[in-house]
Amino acid sequence: MNSPDNNRLEQQEIDASAKWPVLTFLGSALCWLVLGGALQLGAALQLHTPAFLGGCEWFTYGRLAPAAQNALVYGWGMNAAFGFGLWLMARLSASALRHGGWLFVAAQFWNLGITLGVLGILTGASTSFELLELPRFVTVLLLVAYALIGLWAVSTFCLRNTEHVYVSQWYLFGAAFWFPWLYTVAQVMLFQAPVRGALQPLVNAWYVNGLYGLWFVPVALAAAYYFLPKILGRPLNYFYLPAAGFWCLVVATAFSGGSRLIGGPVPSWVATLGTVANFVAVPAVVMISMTLFGTLAGRYAALKESITLRFVFLGLLGFVAASLLNFALSLRSVAVLLQFTLVGELRDWLLFYGCFSTMMFGAAYFIVPRLTGRAWRSGALVRAHCGATALGLVVLTVTLLAAGWQQGKLLNDPAVPFADLTKAMLPWFTARSVALMLLAVGHLAFFVNFCWSVCPFGSAAEAPAEFHLPPAMSLPAKEGHA
Amino acid sequence: MKNGLTLFLGVFATLALSWAGVLLTAQRQFGGLAQYKDPADESLNPAALSGIADQGRMVYQDLGCVSCHTQQVRREGFGADIGRGWGTRQSVARDYLREKTVLIGQARLGPDLRNAAARPYADAEYFYNLLYAPQSVAPGTNMPSYDFLFDVRPASDQPSPHALRLTGRFAPAPGTQIVPSRRADELVAYLLSLKDTYDYPEARPFVEPKQKEGGH
Ligand code: HEC
Repeated sequence: MNSPDNNRLEQQEIDASAKWPVLTFLGSALCWLVLGGALQLGAALQLHTPAFLGGCEWFTYGRLAPAAQNALVYGWGMNAAFGFGLWLMARLSASALRHGGWLFVAAQFWNLGITLGVLGILTGASTSFELLELPRFVTVLLLVAYALIGLWAVSTFCLRNTEHVYVSQWYLFGAAFWFPWLYTVAQVMLFQAPVRGALQPLVNAWYVNGLYGLWFVPVALAAAYYFLPKILGRPLNYFYLPAAGFWCLVVATAFSGGSRLIGGPVPSWVATLGTVANFVAVPAVVMISMTLFGTLAGRYAALKESITLRFVFLGLLGFVAASLLNFALSLRSVAVLLQFTLVGELRDWLLFYGCFSTMMFGAAYFIVPRLTGRAWRSGALVRAHCGATALGLVVLTVTLLAAGWQQGKLLNDPAVPFADLTKAMLPWFTARSVALMLLAVGHLAFFVNFCWSVCPFGSAAEAPAEFHLPPAMSLPAKEGHA
Repeated sequence: MKNGLTLFLGVFATLALSWAGVLLTAQRQFGGLAQYKDPADESLNPAALSGIADQGRMVYQDLGCVSCHTQQVRREGFGADIGRGWGTRQSVARDYLREKTVLIGQARLGPDLRNAAARPYADAEYFYNLLYAPQSVAPGTNMPSYDFLFDVRPASDQPSPHALRLTGRFAPAPGTQIVPSRRADELVAYLLSLKDTYDYPEARPFVEPKQKEGGH
């Protein structure tokens, strides 16, 4: 076994090898986060003030909303997942990221693809399939970029210098495989050799469900499984639960896509299979929560110490809430009321933002100082980001739940004219814009702080945002956990 | 899980099974669905979209109308779709054979449009006015205006027979007229094609209470 000192050294070498690729991915992710959040806010404003940017073809709601969604999911989400995933894979495999220059190229390809794609949506080349709106001409760019990134992640794993395979690595490894597969299948079945009729929405639902459940959730859980034991300096409590939770979750998720089509024009087994799969996911969520919250138990005071922990905790709450909502929406008795309402939007938003994005925020606060060798410049901006995110998420969740509920009730009452329904929704739309504004303030704080901290000029750090680490932690006997 | 190979096989099997079990099975079950030949008059249903309506479908797609509008009528007793007059029966898979891209949507910020052309008030003029100035036919709505699909021309030109007849605050400035562009014509042709009136055999059994609870 390596001595702690050796380990420390090794870690520094690995971090050095990961520095530029990871910072490139995180930096691009942050630009997309700010931009996507702004576009999303613009779209939200239009719902209560239709005259906002009215008459401007590029920015009508039908283009702005998907452009925002794609900028956030593929621009922010994927870039952040790449940066975080590569860094963690290298650390847990105790193996440097070799030939990082290629990753740099991959990042350029990826971001070029997304830029062209989002512009394409705004100028009218959207395909209008949810999360596949990016015009077809960027597909090749994205796949080439991903091929490089995926290859690097998997080969780093295969060349690992450790005997043990960590829980986080299962999730990262799975995600690295699933995404290209899901994406290719969706592209082929919808555009290359399109299936006909009502099969198209099924392929679309399968893809959307897969992208959230088999890419973003695994990456988020990889973060939770790594940071909790790491920062608390305490191993995962249970031994078999993580494995059982992993397999149960991924198998259930793989089959649950059909539940998005309840009541739709497809044979009813499609939705039923999805519902059954969502039942199977319940024990998985219980097992995963038991492991992760179990590790936290009795140590909640540590949340005060570490900003990363705070975000991870928020992400865990998001994971549980999103899973509950997903389960509820796959029950026919709930779907009849809430399907097609703002609650449907909330389900995916909680997974993507409440769970995944918050985990990535936490991860970035941990990773960046270790890559640059400097602490975050402004503690105030860190606290602003954390506060705005938590508050924004709470306001958004409450708003969308209440609004969706009312919307469903009114939609299901044929006596209510549509105009009255729109009128009843206006205050909720306004509240949603306020919540999105809060989140946007958080994004800005994060962005400014990131640029400021990474920038090599200027004086030393003003305030360390990574608060004092418990002594047990500063020299971990072994990276990771379990 | 010490073994990378076990992990790989499991990861592989998970998605392979899901792909085969959900998508391939569905493809085999109803991917080959064909138009239905009416026994009485030998017509094929659903009839294919006309050329201009198909162009309109692409305008619908590029403007992202699917962000606010669904195109799927749920069955009687499951929501109020039929009660709202969005259709007379539930939508079935065969209905969608007429479109090259099927956008059933998943948000109802606006009404369902699967049978938009079957509304009693829906004619070309209604759709043109709605697209140019939604407030002129639906006061208080938040549907965006698509006035960029229309050309403003001097009225002294030969007055166009297609010019919109708008009054009050939506009327064109004096001396001008509002004429739909080619894209507006295509989009309206598409909207006018939106009605599933043909009664397929499979559209009926679905509404029987026995079948409809076949869920969980
Ligand atoms: C911001 C959301 C939004 C977008 C985007 C949108 N609509 Fe609408 N649409 C509405 C609302 C809300 C109504 C209901 C108006 C009312 O009756 O109060 C409506 C009504 C309609 C109607 C009339 C339906 C009926 O039952 O009479 C049609 C047709 C229509 N929209 C077509 C379109 C088309 C075509 C597009 C794309 C070019 C589009 N809409 C984009 C929100 C939207």
